[in-house]
Amino acid sequence: MNPHFCAFSFVDRITRLEPGVGARGHYTIPAQLNGFPISLAAEAVGQLAAWAAMAAMDFEFRPVAGIAGRVHLLSPVQPGMVLELSADLKTAESDAVAYGGEVRVHGNTVVQLENCVGPMVNVRDFDDPAGVRARFDLICSDGAVPGAFEGVPVIPLGRMGGERGRSLSATLAVPAAAPFFLDHFPRRPVFPGTLQMQANLELVSWLAAELPPPPNGTAWKPRTISDVKLRTFIAPNDNLELEAKLIELTADSAIISVETRKQQRLTGSARVLLKSQEVR
Amino acid sequence: MTHNPPTQEEIMAVFPKVAAAMADALGCDLEKVKLDASLIDDLGAESIDFLDIVFRLERAFKVKIPRGKIVEESRGDLSEAEFENGGHVTAAGLDRLKAYLSEVPPERFPAPLSVAHIPRLFTTETFCKLVIRQQRAAVAEGSGQPA
Repeated sequence: MNPHFCAFSFVDRITRLEPGVGARGHYTIPAQLNGFPISLAAEAVGQLAAWAAMAAMDFEFRPVAGIAGRVHLLSPVQPGMVLELSADLKTAESDAVAYGGEVRVHGNTVVQLENCVGPMVNVRDFDDPAGVRARFDLICSDGAVPGAFEGVPVIPLGRMGGERGRSLSATLAVPAAAPFFLDHFPRRPVFPGTLQMQANLELVSWLAAELPPPPNGTAWKPRTISDVKLRTFIAPNDNLELEAKLIELTADSAIISVETRKQQRLTGSARVLLKSQEVR
Repeated sequence: MTHNPPTQEEIMAVFPKVAAAMADALGCDLEKVKLDASLIDDLGAESIDFLDIVFRLERAFKVKIPRGKIVEESRGDLSEAEFENGGHVTAAGLDRLKAYLSEVPPERFPAPLSVAHIPRLFTTETFCKLVIRQQRAAVAEGSGQPA
């Protein structure tokens, strides 16, 4: 078993590929997992786009997470589901790839990405180009054996404080070692942007719990993450400070901004739209 | 493509949409995005913001913006060696750059000027002019009317 597929690879197989234009593929969430964060479903689309971009760049450059205009979270994903992935590239050049895409389950869209941009970096600074190409060949032919992913370790947030119902901050200690660093990336470990996004969503859920309750029978749920911007690479052992602030509140929606800082420098930001949704 | 410099009227016609794209990309108030604001020094833009701004402008104006090619374009017919030497802009290059970035006051060009410093000179108007040049190019190529 290729260890990459146990760590942080979320495309089992590419079923259709037009280098520089787009790709289709799928990923099976291992049934034995306790859960699968929805941010990793978005990561799967980003990875599919990355394969289509790298194929167009002859594996000399690869995109990294940078900007996501909008990520619509339409329905949760569960272990055992087969994620049908699509990525459509607007451009794939040596400095950046721009793309959109979606995840479907049984034909229904569960996650949708719009206006995403990934700055390109040299593949060889982050990974072994021959190894990347071999993994690409595998997922374009037989495909990776599904079920290898072992999950991501829980990275707890340290609650700091804030103004009840208006703002909340927390610390996040990036682990010194974790399985996902072996894949993201072998030559230069980087804390994945989608795990930052997941941490942001957790902080937002804490702040949502302090908001006035939505209409009867409903609860605050994240619906769209917009204007996601990751400004720098986060390395193992980095200590981050997260802050969530309420921007707007109506009877059935709320907008919360989230910012991540490392030693006071802004490293990431996004806005999260919460909607009141029926409790199932 | 025509090489006539963009007119003030053309610049003011695109400015509201350019400013809106910049304010959205930088997460700042629209009022802060003045025509002569330096993206880096006044608005705090970083490299990822430049990418964000360019893609937002492409979507807003439905034109292709030549990313990272402002410097190349400003060089005109000067060769790279004529334009820069050892990472610094030559005297001939500086003349060309000052003409191309005519919206930037002369006192903002440090001497010597390193090539890496050039983006620090870019203002909101620089991007307005970039959009106008691309709109003209699109019209010249018959690919449609500017948005």
